[in-house]
Order: sequence, then structure tokens, then C-alpha cells
Amino acid sequence: MLMKNYFLLFLLFFASFMAYGQNTSCACFIKGIVRDQHSGQPIAGATVLLTGTTNGVFTDDKGRYEIRDLCPGSYQLEARIVGYSAYKQTLDLTAGHEENFTLQEQEVHLKDVEITAKRTDAPSSQPLTTLSGNDLEQTRGQTLGESLKGISGVTSMQTGSSISKPVIHGLHSNRVLIMNNGVRQEGQQWGSEHAPEIDPFVATRLSVIKGAAGVRYGSDAIGGVILVEPEELPFDKPLSGEINLVGFTNGRQGVASSTLQGGIKGLFGFGWRAQGTIKRGGNIRTPNYFLDNTGINEKNFSFGAGYHHKGFGVDLFYSRFDTKIGIFSGSHIGSITDLLNVINNGEPFVKSGFDYKIGRPNQNVTHDLLKAEVHYNFQDGNRLQWTIAQQVNNRNEYDLHVPRNDSIAALNHPELTFKLNTLTNDLIWDHKPIAGKISGQVGVTTLYQYNLMTGRPLIPNFNQFNIGAFWIERYVKNNWEFEAGIRYDYRTLSTYRIVNRIKRSNHFDFHNGSGTIGATRNFTNHLSAKLNTGTAWRAPNVSELFSDGVHHGAAAFEKGDSTLHPEKALNTIASIKYASEKLTVEIGGYFNYIKDFIYLKPQQEPILTVRGAFPYFKYTQTDASFKGVDMSVAWQFVKNTTVTSKLSYLKAYDTRNENYLVMIPANRWDNQLRHEIPQLGNLHHLFLSVGNLWVARQKRVPPNSDFLPPPSAYSLWNIQAGGTIHLSDKQQLEIGLSVQNLFNTVYRDYMNRFRYYSDDIGRNASLRIKWKFGA
Amino acid sequence: MNRKLTWILLFGVATLFTQCKDSGDEVEADDENELITSVTLTFTEVGTGTVTTFAYKDPDGDGGNAPTKFDTISLKANTSYTLTPAFLDESKTPVDDITAEINEKADEHLLVYTPSPATLLTYTYGDKDEDGYPIGLKGTAKTAQAGIGKLKVQLRHQPDTKNGTPAPGSDDVNIDFNLIVK
Repeated sequence: MLMKNYFLLFLLFFASFMAYGQNTSCACFIKGIVRDQHSGQPIAGATVLLTGTTNGVFTDDKGRYEIRDLCPGSYQLEARIVGYSAYKQTLDLTAGHEENFTLQEQEVHLKDVEITAKRTDAPSSQPLTTLSGNDLEQTRGQTLGESLKGISGVTSMQTGSSISKPVIHGLHSNRVLIMNNGVRQEGQQWGSEHAPEIDPFVATRLSVIKGAAGVRYGSDAIGGVILVEPEELPFDKPLSGEINLVGFTNGRQGVASSTLQGGIKGLFGFGWRAQGTIKRGGNIRTPNYFLDNTGINEKNFSFGAGYHHKGFGVDLFYSRFDTKIGIFSGSHIGSITDLLNVINNGEPFVKSGFDYKIGRPNQNVTHDLLKAEVHYNFQDGNRLQWTIAQQVNNRNEYDLHVPRNDSIAALNHPELTFKLNTLTNDLIWDHKPIAGKISGQVGVTTLYQYNLMTGRPLIPNFNQFNIGAFWIERYVKNNWEFEAGIRYDYRTLSTYRIVNRIKRSNHFDFHNGSGTIGATRNFTNHLSAKLNTGTAWRAPNVSELFSDGVHHGAAAFEKGDSTLHPEKALNTIASIKYASEKLTVEIGGYFNYIKDFIYLKPQQEPILTVRGAFPYFKYTQTDASFKGVDMSVAWQFVKNTTVTSKLSYLKAYDTRNENYLVMIPANRWDNQLRHEIPQLGNLHHLFLSVGNLWVARQKRVPPNSDFLPPPSAYSLWNIQAGGTIHLSDKQQLEIGLSVQNLFNTVYRDYMNRFRYYSDDIGRNASLRIKWKFGA
Repeated sequence: MNRKLTWILLFGVATLFTQCKDSGDEVEADDENELITSVTLTFTEVGTGTVTTFAYKDPDGDGGNAPTKFDTISLKANTSYTLTPAFLDESKTPVDDITAEINEKADEHLLVYTPSPATLLTYTYGDKDEDGYPIGLKGTAKTAQAGIGKLKVQLRHQPDTKNGTPAPGSDDVNIDFNLIVK
């Protein structure tokens, strides 16, 4: 859907700093050029301002800016450009010593700063949290869902420890959008055991936009958006690369990933990157026993290449994700009796030792993505970008039992197969600044998709077409930044299924508008506040429309409703941030009201099947509210020693039925104490940290809605240590050690579907080695 | 550059409205998926040879229409019966005989008959698989005094784990017939 929205960021800095001591009058100035790092083109209409003052200017059509009449002192220079990340840099215009120079009086204090900005499409007035650098390194080897858990307000919904789906502010699956390298990820998101088909090693940045961000990314982003962003291609750079090796004791899992990248000698304007990952793990161990058939086997690779010349650029990207995940065999149940027996037993009936072998049940998923992106920067400041992407998602699920009939069993076909084919197109125009003050973008996005499924009937085949158009404008003045946007989407959905051996088709049309409005205010160098209100809507998906059968994982009979209409959300999110050298505090509050929220409502009467009576749930609509607070504090109370504390609080409520909602993550509090040694001989950035995660018991659940009450609160300890060895100018080795669940604590998590069957994962020590060479 | 751009744009606009394939052409009934749509219990009175059958039928499987037949088992007090169950998948043409498949894979299956109250009826297995464990496709049910209760019929699927007890594996059938002994 989107474009290649990440651009290199950066700041080249011409240190032609000249300050003249003999004149302390307010005659200093700063000047420079603002450029797009990717194309090198000047950016017209960028706002360059000095935070905390009323000084702010726009760049001209050559990207130039100049701020005059400054008194000597320390300033924070900030560049704000629509569609780019904000850039901040502290400058010293203090009295200098270059008394020998005899320049014109007005050029006495001069700083020439060239700003090269990184493009982003993230809304500026919504909280954006990014994992990159060291924070991202510490998550290496884990799945995407697990990697994001360190961000406050983000949790995960799990099926055992190998299938993990990100949850933002209590919302997940079709309500959270994942933008993989600028393309909207399209898999079978509706399923609770369908994890995102993305290799996190592709990315050098993982970002989460919390709150409804539907206008830019697609109307269904009710909960938030996850951006998986690789680094910009290394245009005209020498060969470089990295090799990552990660080993985990639990599951005896090994992960190897490597990247090789560079430009092409003699061909100006080219860049390429190749990357691959192999992962192999065996049975997971809880503190007291192994879980049978919980191995994983994953092979992923990606290749990217691009060319850019003057304002023109083209990028190609291909990635393949291929995973085979064993599903704990003790989680297979035929009837309620089976489930109640396991619950009463307190631990699984199936006993196991360690094994790498993956038997039934398992899932085998491949995801292929091919993307092309073309852009052109016009001389006058207009920019046009077109992205086309094809995704093929192939999901095969094998049940525990092979068919009784030998000839059918011999085929060893999966009991469920889904083939989802998606073509997305995005055409985006960044218009040139209007009157030098307002910048914005207009876009059209389309999605065409078809789904083929074979096996046990679950969801119908469908064709889906979606077209959306949006328009976003941003206005920056002094310390204020305003943004507003609107979007309109139209979607058609045709479904085909077999009912009693007769083909039935249904047709649906959905259309709706959405909007966003927000403001950011920078009070001082350190203090800023953001407020955003947005609407989003989501059409019911095929499983909500047509489910009709027993969900064996949940021991529930789930029935869809083809008369469901779209749900609509009104989301308000406010945050305030104080950031200084020693202390960073960020507090955000949100209120997400979802009208006609689609959920599974328990029915009075159970439904009778040949495997007995199952509790009966029907997809129904209600009104729901999600209120919460995310807080994070980092305080360097002694030199090089920092304490970090993150709190996530969420209260979800069904306002129409005056009841709580099921499957809402419990409140949590994450604390970390970290000591760093910047340098010790050849070792750099040495650190040691101790952390604790406390997760409360989810007390807010509807009465009599579950076979088992939510598990008790738990507290897990972890330790981490690491550092970097500089082998040579161009080679470095990063080493990290960590132990999760240090005391092998027995716990179960409310958001883990396997909490009925077994304890959660036990102690897990890991060793990470990263060798970087070249650049 | 402008001509190149025009071509790119034209191609871009064209692909915005491209449709690829119609998934409606490819929808077909699945014949590999095994269902059990009917469970029939045949009670043959020892001595007289009088045959009575009682059935559970849900021809379209889970969901869809409700079960079309769910008989109450009615037996005489203090009488011995031979009990033979039959399982069919009537959603397929021709009808799939699951009983035969259970018999072939007897070492992976166990039928469990549980009356409640337990005093209503006593079941004795009359068959064994190759490992010497009971199957339950043949057996004797002996009723006691008159009474009302339930008879739970379970087909336990126990590949590689069958040990003669109901505990391993999972249910392929688990239904409670009403039972009248008079």
C-alpha cells in the first residue's frame, strides 16, 4: 500500500563553524540546505526552526534556509518537513576565538548546517516508538511479535511460544496493520494462531504507531500500525555486510542470518542488498516438562536492488518467508471432556523429551513479496511515487490425526490450505508547498485479492477489491505543528462456498470515510505535547461473516453472521514528553471508542455435534471502549547508570452490554536497571542490565465466559550483558548474553491460548554474536 | 525523463484496476475431509434375537442444520444384549463406512460406553485388537433394574498411544444418548 517510506535519515554536517569573539551582538546566523537523503534533491517548504524561540523559516525552492539575528548561545535546531521525520540538533553559537578573521560584521557568528532528512509517512501527532540499534539487537532471533513486546502499550497474543501476534492497546489481528518495507502485509490475519509472516532480520527499524492511523495506511488500522523498515540501499557504497548468530538454550534453537550489500563499481547510482536467515529449534521446555512437537524450522531470504539518478529512483525488492512450526500435540482436543480433563490434570497428558522433529499437528507457511517502487522528484518540489506489490501467502495446516482412510492418508495433504494472492498499488503525490507554509500529500491506493481454500471448510473463497483515496495536509508554524487528513474507501467482497454440496455466492459492498486531526506543540527544548483524534473503520472479514464450526483450539463453536456491518472507531490519543540529558518521561493516554465492535458473543444454549455439546459463540456487534495509559521513564541517576520503567494500563469495556470484554491484555510494569561502560580498552559500549516484568492478573473478564479463570499475576526476572569489540577500522564484533525467566518461574499468561494446556516457557539463556564488516 | 515518467504513470494507472483471478471458479466440495455424520447402536437381545436400533444423525456435519435424529435408547430391565455400533459419513457419495476403517485401524481406536448412573447397565468388551487391547465394536450390554439415565458413547482416537484405557488421545465421537431401562 505504501511506499517506500523510509528514507535515510541523516545529517551531514559541515562544520564550517565560525564564531567571532570580538562581537557579542546578536548578529549570528545559521544557514544551510535541506535535502532528501535518498535522492539528494533539495526539499522546498521545510520548516527550520529553533526550538523554544519564535525563530522559524521555510526553505526556498532550492532547499535553502537562513536564520538571522541570533544572539550567541546554545540552540536546538529542528527541521520539520511533511513526510519526513523531525530532525533535532543542538548547536553552539557561543563566543569564539577566531579573532583573526575580518569578515563582514553580520557574518560574525555563522553556522552552516546541511540537513539530510529521512522520509516517513507516520503521522506527527501520534505516538511513534521505534526499536533500532542496540534495543533491536537484543531482540534478534525472536519473532516479530516477541520483538515488539518491549514497547509500552504493545503486548502479544500467543499460541505457545513460537506463534506470537502483536497487540496494540488491546487490539490485534485485522485491527493492526503491518507495513512490511512499505507494503501492507496481507496474510490470513484473522486467525489467532496466524502470526505475521515477516523475518525481523529484514528490518533495521521496527516502529509502532499507536492509535488509529487509518487515513495514511488504510482505514482498518483501528489499533495502530507496525512499520518494518530496512535501511536505505547502499547506493554507491563499498561492499559491507554482517553475520548474526544467535543460540537459545530453550528449544536448543539456533538462528543464523547474514546480509551482504553494496553499490556497483563503475555504475553510478546503483545499490543492492541480499539477506538470508535460517532458524532451527526443537521442543520448548517449561520449568517442569518439555512440550511435545514445539519445534520450528524457518528459512527466509530477501533481495533488494535500486537505482537513482537526479530526481528519479527505482527500487525492487523480493522476499520469501518459509516456516514450519510444530503445534504442541497436547493441545489437540476433540471435545469439551478432553479439555476439562487436561485442565483438571494441571499439566499435559502427553509427555515428551527433547526432539527437533516436527510432526503433526503443524503449520507450514510461505509468504512471497515482490515489490517495485518508482519515484520522481520534480524541480519545483512536487514528488510522485508509485509502488506496486504482489504477495502470495500459502498456509498449510496439518491436524494431529491423518485421515483413517489409508489411500487418503497416504497423500498426506494438509487438512487446511489457504492461498491468498494480493496485488497492491499506491500512487502518491507530495505536492509542492502552498504559499511556503502548507505541505501535504494526496494518494490513491488499491488492493485486489483472492483467496482459495481447500480442506476442512472454514472460510469461503473470496475476491476482494479495495480502492481508497486520501489527502493529508500539514502546517508548521514556530513551535506548533498541525495536521489534518481525510480518506475514503470503497470495498467489494464476493464470497463463494459450498453448502450441502451446492455452490453459494454472496456479494458485499462497503464504503466509508475516515479522518484525522492533530497538533504538536513544543513548549521548550525539552518539553513537547501531542494530541490527535482520528476515525477509522473496518469491514467485517470473511471469518466474521462465515465461520461455522468448532474452533478446536478454543473448544468453542463459532458462527459468523453475514449481516454484520463495518465497525467504526473514534480514537483520541494525547501524550506529553519531557526529554533532557538525564531524564526522559513520556506519558500518553488514549480513549478508543469502537461503535459496532465485532466480537464473539457467548450464546445461551450449547450446540450439539458428534463430539458432544460445545459452547456456542456468535459474531455479534456491540459498542466498546478502550481506555488506557502508557508511561515510560528513563532516569540516569548516576553517571552511566540508568533506570527505566514502563507501565501499560488498559481498561476495555463493552458499553452496550455493560460488561467486560474477553482476551484483553492484563496491565504490566516493566523495570530495568542498566549500567554502561563506554570504553574499556578495545571494548566499547559495555553494558550490564537487570530487569523485571510484572504482569497483573486480568481481573476484568465477563463472568462465566471461560473454562478457566485468568491466570495469576506473575513476575519474571531477566539479565543482559554485552559489548562491542573493534577488530579493525572496518570490522567489529558485537556480543550479547541474556537470560530470560532467570528463576525458571512457573507461570501462565492470559493471552496465551495454551494456558489451558501447559505452563509457559521456562528459563531461556541466549548468546548473540554479530560480526559487521565493510562500512 | 518526462516521457519515461508518462509511460510509468500509464502503466501504473492500468495496474490500479487490474483483476487477476476469480476464486469463485475454484470452489469445490472437499472429499478428503472425514466426518462422522451418523452413529447407530444396534442392540440384539440375547436369546430372542430381537433387534432394536437407536441413532444420532447430523447429515451436514457440525454446524449448518441441527442433528436430524437423536433417539432415546429404550431397553428391557435385567436383559443381556449384544451391542454393535456403526459409524457413517453420509456427507459423501457414496457413503463412507467409518466402522470398517475403525476396524482396520483397531490399534488406534477405543470405544467407551459409560452409563450414568453406572448401575443402569454393564458393558463387557467382546473384541480385541492385535495388541490384546479392547476395541468395542463388539460387546455385551447387560441391563439391571429399571431406571432413567444416559449412555455416553465415545470413540477415542489413540494413534501410537493406545493402552487399553480411555485416557490417551482425543474424542472423535462423544455423545450422550438418553437411556430408559424398563
